[in-house]
Amino acid sequence: MNNEIAEKIKGMLVERLRIPEDELEYDSELFGEDIGLDSIDSIEIIVGIENLFGVDISGAGATREDFRSIETLTAFVEAHKED
Amino acid sequence: MPMNEKRCVITGLGLVCAIGNDTEECFESALNGRSGITDVKSFDTSACYSHKGAEVSSSNEQLAKGRYDRTTALGIKAAGEALADAGINTDSEGASDIGVILGSCIAGAACVEKYYNAKVKGEKGDIEDLKAMPASAIAGNVADYYNAGGITANIVNACAAGTLSVAMAIDLIRGGKGEIFLAGGCDSFSSLAYAGFHALRALAPSDCSPFNHSDGITLGEGAGVLVVESYEHAVKRGAKIYCDVLGSGVSSDAYHITAPRPDGEGQMSVITRAVRNSGLKFTDIGYVNAHGTGTAKNDESEFLSLNTVFADNKDLSVSSTKSMTGHCLGAAGAIEAVLTVKALKEGKLPPTTGYSEEDLKGYSEEDLKVLAEKSGDINFIANKPLEKDIKYAMSNSFAFGGNNASIVFAKDPNLLNLTCPKQDLYVTGLGIVSGEFDETSKTYVAKLDTDTFKAYGVKSAFLRKLDRLSQLQLLSGLKALEDAGVTVTPENEGIIGICIGTNDGPMTEIANFQKGIIRDGIDKGSAFAFPNTVYNAAGGYLSIATGIKGYNVTIANGFQSGLQSVCAASGAIMFGYESIMLASGTDECTDIDEEIYSDLGIAGEGKTTLGEGSVTCVIEKDSSATERGAKRYAKIAGFSSARDTSSDRSDNLRLSEASLTKAVMNVLDESGMKASDVKCIYGFGNGIAEVDDFEMEVYRKIFGDGIEVKLVKKDFGEARAASSSLQFAMLAKDIYEGRFENGIAVSFGTSALYSAVLLTKA
Repeated sequence: MNNEIAEKIKGMLVERLRIPEDELEYDSELFGEDIGLDSIDSIEIIVGIENLFGVDISGAGATREDFRSIETLTAFVEAHKED
Repeated sequence: MPMNEKRCVITGLGLVCAIGNDTEECFESALNGRSGITDVKSFDTSACYSHKGAEVSSSNEQLAKGRYDRTTALGIKAAGEALADAGINTDSEGASDIGVILGSCIAGAACVEKYYNAKVKGEKGDIEDLKAMPASAIAGNVADYYNAGGITANIVNACAAGTLSVAMAIDLIRGGKGEIFLAGGCDSFSSLAYAGFHALRALAPSDCSPFNHSDGITLGEGAGVLVVESYEHAVKRGAKIYCDVLGSGVSSDAYHITAPRPDGEGQMSVITRAVRNSGLKFTDIGYVNAHGTGTAKNDESEFLSLNTVFADNKDLSVSSTKSMTGHCLGAAGAIEAVLTVKALKEGKLPPTTGYSEEDLKGYSEEDLKVLAEKSGDINFIANKPLEKDIKYAMSNSFAFGGNNASIVFAKDPNLLNLTCPKQDLYVTGLGIVSGEFDETSKTYVAKLDTDTFKAYGVKSAFLRKLDRLSQLQLLSGLKALEDAGVTVTPENEGIIGICIGTNDGPMTEIANFQKGIIRDGIDKGSAFAFPNTVYNAAGGYLSIATGIKGYNVTIANGFQSGLQSVCAASGAIMFGYESIMLASGTDECTDIDEEIYSDLGIAGEGKTTLGEGSVTCVIEKDSSATERGAKRYAKIAGFSSARDTSSDRSDNLRLSEASLTKAVMNVLDESGMKASDVKCIYGFGNGIAEVDDFEMEVYRKIFGDGIEVKLVKKDFGEARAASSSLQFAMLAKDIYEGRFENGIAVSFGTSALYSAVLLTKA
């Protein structure tokens, strides 16, 4: 996993979605019991990632599984990021 | 006569929106299916995926003389038409009794944009924009414009606000608090709302298509105002009468901050309440002007709820006029109320448009087939108007925060035969969140930590969504329920309600959202932040967290809003809507508030010291308190809001001796007490010499020199609506603990509105 990307995504989640930093691990289930995100949060994540990396994860075909955790989001961004 | 039997009638109509400049033009357009939706002109939408809007072509100057925010200017235009239609001369003495209850969602958003555009550039914002930003300014400005001297209120329950305003007007008339009101709603087109709904992906890519393509909303702007008055008052002045307005319903979903419940429970509850409160059966309703926004979630749940609740009604017609007017947010319910009254009166029902061959997507035949499958026995009046003689018509609104409102208009008044035995009301619980002095900011700041919320079972996944205002509100609400010993259960969830008063509402969220889109572009609004920019988000979250499903109203009307919420909550119990009400006053103090009040010249060195907090008081009817064996802090012996227009109407921050005296004398009258019986006043003095001297002088005139006046703001700061609630709560505590036998809490608001509540020993 690319730690630099993961850390940026984590920072974005903390800032944009007010998730307490100490409760957020790279493998936390974002939409499950752990963090409890919902559909509005997922829209915010799409915009946040586009702003950070220029990757339109919704247009690039991200699935529910790709939104599972910071790890899966990082993998998706890594695979679709244009250097 | 039991109070609910007091007839209320509609005697004047005013309307301005994208389909016309007055009621006649709008109704004609609606009947002919003429849409007001075009490409947005107010601002550049080129970066957005949608470019549609339903804007009013008139400029602010054409709408109102003088300088007003566009939302207020729209309200002034529609109110003027309604008054003229009702045959009221605003220069006459009669005008001084007219109250103004207006709904708004986005309030002074145009001025917010202008003010923060300047601020972001490092310039000094215009103080006139600052004064026009909060919802608190609207009704008072409209009232002052027309010399209307009755009670004012701004109802800020997002897209249900317009309907709720009409509902509140009939409650005030039936409760003896006024004989005639201008009631309705107004909202301007704004970059704030456009960016917000764009961020939520809730805008339709093309013209909205309610109950059809259901791929999103098209925003609109406008105002609808109805003259609502008691039948006796209308007859006495020889007014023409359009129809009766019977009963209303208000409910909460307790589900989600933006989405309606998929099972339609809250919608069915509010329709049921309105039908019941109107003394009708479901089969009596001939026409429903639906909420019909055009989002998939709204339309699915509304199809379900209408088909379920009206299952036995084989002659029901329903339409969504938003297909032509666009979604005018806080004005929507009022615009639809005006169209509904016209439809009832003329026997012509406006259609839901968009199923026609002109439909750009070319789905028309398929659309009608799908509609037939979804609509069951209900006629959704596709494309063409329907001539139909109906006796009873309903207008529904379902808002962010899960707030639902419904109102029933009638040609026939005779079936209304509700009785509501008068009961004493008690304060049975208090939840106080107040600030402590902070040396750094020189303001009074409340402590909010996650552990406190955790102790009440609030998960951090929920808490993180709440802005500071909503967190303050949630905490005081939870504390109040705990103090009252009330546990919300499936048995009582529908008989508990919420009424929140606030001066500034979520101004911090509004300002930050607006600054964000100025900085990043209108297409880059935050979907996470936008729901918290609506004034009723705090009330919505409180309902979601506690499961309360009854009445839910938020009033933004100056510093006195905390006391006005007690008045409105008491009214909701008096009319039998609920048994228990949470009445709150809440305002936050953030760097945004500090900047605003400093710019206004109200806070800072030598002025008042800002504070924040939330105070929730549990108000309960006697039978409910007895049944629960509840602790009774005090009895509510009288409550009143009052204002007048005798002083300088051009200054909406003016002080008025006549209004303050009227509010106090009203509660003395209502409680059967004399000034000499009163033991204590909890006043509104805030350290500004002009305010403090004025207040003491008026009390001296009414009560003489010996009256004890207690001022909470010297210990907790000027926390605005939270302060006026705190005055009430401290008085209730003093009475409970035997320090006083009785007392009056008094506070002041914009455009010379004052509220007073008299408490006595329980």
